[in-house]
Amino acid sequence: MEPIPKTEEQPAVTPTERLAYSVQESADLLGVNYFSVYRLIQRGKLKVCRALRGKLLVPREELLKLLGTQ
Amino acid sequence: MSNRFDDRRPTVLEEQAHAEASQHFAEHLEQFPVSRAAVERLERNIAKTTLAANMAASKPTPKENIFQVYGDGQWHKSVDLIDNICLCHRPITGGVEYAVVEHFPARGTNEIWNRGWNAVEVLKVFAQEQRQALQIWTEDMTAQVKEFLVEKYPGQDMSRVADSFMHRFTHAVSQQHSPSHEQNHNRGIRI
Repeated sequence: MEPIPKTEEQPAVTPTERLAYSVQESADLLGVNYFSVYRLIQRGKLKVCRALRGKLLVPREELLKLLGTQ
Repeated sequence: MSNRFDDRRPTVLEEQAHAEASQHFAEHLEQFPVSRAAVERLERNIAKTTLAANMAASKPTPKENIFQVYGDGQWHKSVDLIDNICLCHRPITGGVEYAVVEHFPARGTNEIWNRGWNAVEVLKVFAQEQRQALQIWTEDMTAQVKEFLVEKYPGQDMSRVADSFMHRFTHAVSQQHSPSHEQNHNRGIRI
C-alpha cells in the first residue's frame, strides 16, 4: 500500500496576522488620532470586543471593513 | 502634582510601576487632554458657532467648501468643529438644514453624524456624543492600565497605582487651557 501523501492544511490566518488590535494600534493603522477611533466606536462604525479586563479590541475585519477593502 | 497615594507614601515598587505606566501610555496622557479641551471648547462655543453657521448660510458658499455626501447630495461647509468634522448647511424649501459631517481621509468619503433644522440642537447632540466617546476612552484606559500592571507585576496589589494613574489621566490639563480653567477642572473628576 502506498503511503497517503500528507496534505498541508492552510491555517485561516497566518501566525503573524493578528485577529484584533488595541485602540492605539488601530489608530496607528488608520493614521488617525486615538479620539477618532473612540469616536468611531461610539458611533458604532467600528464594532469592538472586550478582553478579559475590559480592554477594547478592534477586530481586524472591522478595520478592513472601515477602509472599504472588505 | 499632588501625591495621590492618599494616606501613605508610595512604595518604591509603586513609584516604579507608576513611572512605567506613564511611559507606556504617554501618548494617551498627551492626547486625552487635547481632545477633552476640544470638546469643552465645542460646548462653550455652541452659540458662537451657531451664529457663524447662520451667517455662512446667508451668503454664497465658495466652490471649494461645497462637497458631496454619499447618498445625500451636496452640503456647504459652515464651520470647522473638531479634527475632520465640520458643521454644514444647505438650503431647503422654507429654510436651512444643518448637519455635522465627518470627512474620512482613509476612505475619502464624507458622512453625516446628525442633522436638523436647528443648528443649536444639532451641535448639542454632537457635543453629547463627543462626551460619550471620551467616556469610552476613559473606561478603556482604566482597563488597559490594570492589564498592564497585572502583567508587569503579577501577584502585587497595584490598585493604588492604577487609581493614581487614572487620576492623572482624567485631570491632565491641555496646554491650551488657562490656569483658572485648570483650577475649576481639578475640583472633581469630570470627563
